Amino acid sequence: MTKEKPAGFNRRELLQATATVAAGYTAVPLLAACSSSDARPAKIGVLLPYSGIYAVLGESITEGIRMYLDEIGNQSGGRRIEIITEDSQMMPDVAQQKARKLVEQDEVDFVAGIVSTGVLYGLRDYFDSAKKLLICANAGGNKISRELRTPYIWRTSFSNWQPNWPLGDWAYKNVAQKVFMSAPDYGAGHNMVDAFANSFQALGGQILGMQFTPFPTMGDPAPFITEIQGLDPPMVFCFYSGASAVSFVQSYGEFGLTDNIPLVCAGFTVEEDVLPAQGTAALGALSSLHWSLLIDNPINKRFTAAYKNRTGKDANVFAVQGYDTGRVIAELLIAVQGDTSDVNRMIDYLAGISFDSPRGPFNLDSQSQNPSQHIYVRRVDEVDGALHNVVIEDLGAFTDPGDNSLG
Amino acid sequence: METLVIQTLNGLVFSMLLFVMAAGLSLIFGQMDVINLAHGSFYLLGGYIGFTMIRQYENYWLALIIAPVIVGTIGFIIEYAILRRIYGRHHHLNQVLFTFGLALVAADLIRWNWGSYVITVAAPPQLQGQVPFLGIQFPVYRLAVITFGLTIGAILWIGIERTRIGMILRAGVSDAKLLSGFGVNIQLVFSGVFAMGTALAALAGVIGAPIHSLYPGLDFEILILTLAVVVVGGLGTLKGAFLGSLLIGMADTFGKTFLPEFALFLIFAVMASVLILRPSGLWGLRGQR
Repeated sequence: MTKEKPAGFNRRELLQATATVAAGYTAVPLLAACSSSDARPAKIGVLLPYSGIYAVLGESITEGIRMYLDEIGNQSGGRRIEIITEDSQMMPDVAQQKARKLVEQDEVDFVAGIVSTGVLYGLRDYFDSAKKLLICANAGGNKISRELRTPYIWRTSFSNWQPNWPLGDWAYKNVAQKVFMSAPDYGAGHNMVDAFANSFQALGGQILGMQFTPFPTMGDPAPFITEIQGLDPPMVFCFYSGASAVSFVQSYGEFGLTDNIPLVCAGFTVEEDVLPAQGTAALGALSSLHWSLLIDNPINKRFTAAYKNRTGKDANVFAVQGYDTGRVIAELLIAVQGDTSDVNRMIDYLAGISFDSPRGPFNLDSQSQNPSQHIYVRRVDEVDGALHNVVIEDLGAFTDPGDNSLG
Repeated sequence: METLVIQTLNGLVFSMLLFVMAAGLSLIFGQMDVINLAHGSFYLLGGYIGFTMIRQYENYWLALIIAPVIVGTIGFIIEYAILRRIYGRHHHLNQVLFTFGLALVAADLIRWNWGSYVITVAAPPQLQGQVPFLGIQFPVYRLAVITFGLTIGAILWIGIERTRIGMILRAGVSDAKLLSGFGVNIQLVFSGVFAMGTALAALAGVIGAPIHSLYPGLDFEILILTLAVVVVGGLGTLKGAFLGSLLIGMADTFGKTFLPEFALFLIFAVMASVLILRPSGLWGLRGQR
């Protein structure tokens, strides 16, 4: 007997299987939504990636939210607070479907979370038309504070412009006047590079070249590192996050660049979630961010100690953003005395929220709907036998301009 | 010019890693007619087990041997317990669903055990550092990966072309039923081949760990690239896996060098063109029939 020709998969079989899986999958939340109690808790739908390359970000943000809510006994403004988590899988279409599920079936009062800019932009129109509040705990796409602004989306995290524009200025004055730039080829990558370039060039800084690398998976960064090595610039600016940040910085060290070309970067590149994996390849990297593990203020000290105690890991900026997201929602519930029925009234109160966060003074700016916050320059150093970002300068408070005038 | 040579070297490093992966996937398909969508998971599992071994015993070379043995054993058990129940052409959908399901379960188990933080694995002390090459510093470990890939390729080639076991394997590819009629325990051959294929994936995992690190999601990243390799090279032959790896590895590296914004696109453009022109792959088993 000889083997038959290559077998095509039976299309009908595949469709049947898919339909069965899909039906089983949607039935569970439907059943869950049918049971309800009289004293209705305030529900937060948390939409984050819990799988794939940004799973750590999703976990850290969730842990931050839960930690704040636990601290206040899971109630605020007279309402008990409940969390429903959903995995966005970092895919705009999946996130869309999960957001609808949270809003329409679970009837949550707020949706919070969102790690990637692509997902945030994809959800924008839905929240705008559903008139539901989305509290963005990470994705920093500038447009949400600018041309795509809607009253229903507020950020507790940052805009991509925020850490990088001050850094361009600082790097020109303190590191070098010429730079090579590297970032992933998606919204956030371009935002960060543009912001740095804007202030850097305004002082007369020269850009020797740029590379935009595949996103979300960069694969082997060696070809990009080789390009940098061939050009031998006096300074490299980059932005990477998660696994790509580890790959890029590790290769930077592997090819011997760490000791020779100063690496200046958006703080996420060498944040606490990736720093232990990068090891000595990250040593000396200069970065800017709205937080550092080592910021010396009492709230941060208490926060970082409690987080470590709770999870066994050092806190990272994403956990801080989650923590502050929990706090913004709790403060809002107090302001409206637990009445979440009028979304416009909630929006009025959101604009005034300000408090002392682990990152320093936190003010929700009513114009950019994004925090006004301090930006810190940090350097990777060895502290007590481990690598951490030591704050070397507090550049002061920055607010997103709300338009594209500054990059 | 120097940059071009170095980029070729980078491409070669990546190709060799892909080759070890693709060889395993191709071996399983050629022999058993099963597309193993959990192949990336065995890569990742191998990497993580290697990482644990290295942390425990501080010996990379031990990890390089033990991790494939452990993962190969797991592969053997999976074949013996479940996979053999769904052989045959009319079970293709079941095989795909099973191995895909296996990949999802493995991803969660791996995350459960090792967490979702990125983990890096240091190159063995003997292979750390750089050597000066054409005016730049090239990492020694990456040169070693090329050597690993070529050595594994040579061993596989000799094993398949020049030994009695290889003869049985080649006969099995041609006609498993007839081989069984000659008194060869074909079930044992299948179990062995599946174990061997998964062990190769685990080996690639350990070799690749110092370069690509380990993190959730890497399993599917690497699976997709491996599938691209076997689609281009053709399933079921060592030559197809080798040349397909070179083509995809070089397309990736030079895509990143010259058209970074289109690097991913380029790999799949190569794949799509091959699918249109030669659906069975450039050096595939089916093409010869």
